[in-house]
Amino acid sequence: MRRPTLVDQDFFDVRKPSVRRSMTLLALGAVTGLVLAGYGLFTAKGTRSRRVPAEAVALVNQRPILRSDFMTQTQTQFFLPFAQTRYADRKKVLQDMIDEELMMQRGLEIDLPSYDPNVRSALVAGVELEVTADVLALQPSAEEMRAYYEEHKAKYSSEGLMRLRELVAKSGPGRSAAQLRDTSEAAVAALRKGDALEAVMKAFGLVDSGRFMDAGHIDTGDMFQFAVKDKTDAVTYQAATGLKDGEVSDPIPLADGVHLLLMISHRFPVPQSFEEAQNRVWTDIKTEAQARVRGANLVYLRNRADIMIAPEYTK
Amino acid sequence: MMSSDARRGQVLYHWAISLGILLIVGISGGSWLSRMALRRQLLEADPSRVLSNPSLLGPAVRLGAPVYRKHCEHCHGVNLEGDPKRGVPNLARHYWLYGNDPVDVEHTIYYGIRSGNSQARNVAEMPALIRTGQITAGDGRDVVQYLESLSGQPHDSAAAIRGRSIYYNKGNCYDCHANDARGVIDYGTPPLRGPVWLYGGDPETLFQSVLNGRHGQCPAWVSVLTPLQIRAVSVYMLTSTSKGASHT
Repeated sequence: MRRPTLVDQDFFDVRKPSVRRSMTLLALGAVTGLVLAGYGLFTAKGTRSRRVPAEAVALVNQRPILRSDFMTQTQTQFFLPFAQTRYADRKKVLQDMIDEELMMQRGLEIDLPSYDPNVRSALVAGVELEVTADVLALQPSAEEMRAYYEEHKAKYSSEGLMRLRELVAKSGPGRSAAQLRDTSEAAVAALRKGDALEAVMKAFGLVDSGRFMDAGHIDTGDMFQFAVKDKTDAVTYQAATGLKDGEVSDPIPLADGVHLLLMISHRFPVPQSFEEAQNRVWTDIKTEAQARVRGANLVYLRNRADIMIAPEYTK
Repeated sequence: MMSSDARRGQVLYHWAISLGILLIVGISGGSWLSRMALRRQLLEADPSRVLSNPSLLGPAVRLGAPVYRKHCEHCHGVNLEGDPKRGVPNLARHYWLYGNDPVDVEHTIYYGIRSGNSQARNVAEMPALIRTGQITAGDGRDVVQYLESLSGQPHDSAAAIRGRSIYYNKGNCYDCHANDARGVIDYGTPPLRGPVWLYGGDPETLFQSVLNGRHGQCPAWVSVLTPLQIRAVSVYMLTSTSKGASHT
């Protein structure tokens, strides 16, 4: 009886079919494939390129410096068409660009944007510019500007001027709310009657609120209306805007007592015509559109972001 | 049992098939390699050399034409004639706002004009001189008459003289459009002497430019097209508009 061997007579005779040969070749193929795959897997360096891509003039840590950027930079630096620049000049520009790339990469490596406020600001400004590019291109038509003006007419006026005193009947121990109200109403009546301010303050125990002490024109005390708004609360400001020269407001109850306003002089804001205001209208339309786009962008970013906030700030 | 002739025939048949396959693979591979080499040459060569080298120019134009048709034609026109309604320059008449140096053209295609890309061309834009109050509507009409006089169109001489003064003083027009009103490629400002105009040279269109300003744009193609496509399309555009110089 013939003993079976790994390689029989038919193995090398390609004219005769041989199951053993087929299986052996299959196994060889599989092993070769596995070896190649394994070699590739364990020795791969990502997508590392061993030569500079044609569109780049250099690779710095695998980041390309585009030929187009290099050529523009060379032209800008030497004020010459690229074709007329010297080889030495081009090499210098290239070295500078490589240095810049290295520094930029180092910046990312040490995560500069996370702690350097200047880098952060530059990044934020850059992103905002990209986001609002379309809005910056916006050219509102004359009709749109007119419509916007009509809709927001109230804000287009010259700045008003006020000179005023704010007096307070201070709350405190032994002064009930009813007492404060009576005192302040009596003080208002006296002032409206024409009694001298100092005398009224003394008679009713009023003090100056001090909110306008460091504001206003150095000689006259006149303050722009926006400054009054800035230095006082909304209720008091609202009361002030309606007062004419010499008028006294009704008592205004606030947390520290009851306040009174005496308007010494008030130059009211003068509404501006469309022609006078069109500069501001133009700017306002653009600013509003930018704010809308910026807001929408932030909503989008927030929606896709994973933001966790400390419990004390989640309420 | 197969005869020896039949067996020989079969062997020959297998050899022929194998050789055929090898031939096809070889030809395709060779063609692919030569295409790759040509593309590499196209990218590595200085852009101006591509224009003067017929062996590179032909393939570049063949590559650039379909790219132009797909991405550029709807604004720049079938024959690069532009669109005055949108302020797209007439490149067929050599109206290259930022110059026709191949490097400059490529830069514009890469990053665009006022595209929002930080490398886009965005040094200046036409301000709304009348709207912003820098000049009055009357001043604007006078400047328009001055420009009509420069381009040899019928005009009101007295208004043109006043307009000239506005151009060089209150309007600061000369600052961007140059003393001779031929435009400045560094800013991409158009020439104002006709006969080709960016938005149109009739008095009303010119007045609209002074009234409302202009803000022409071109998208940045850096993330859409490959460097090779950009090189090719710029070559295509430069050669399609003949060998003329830009406006300055």
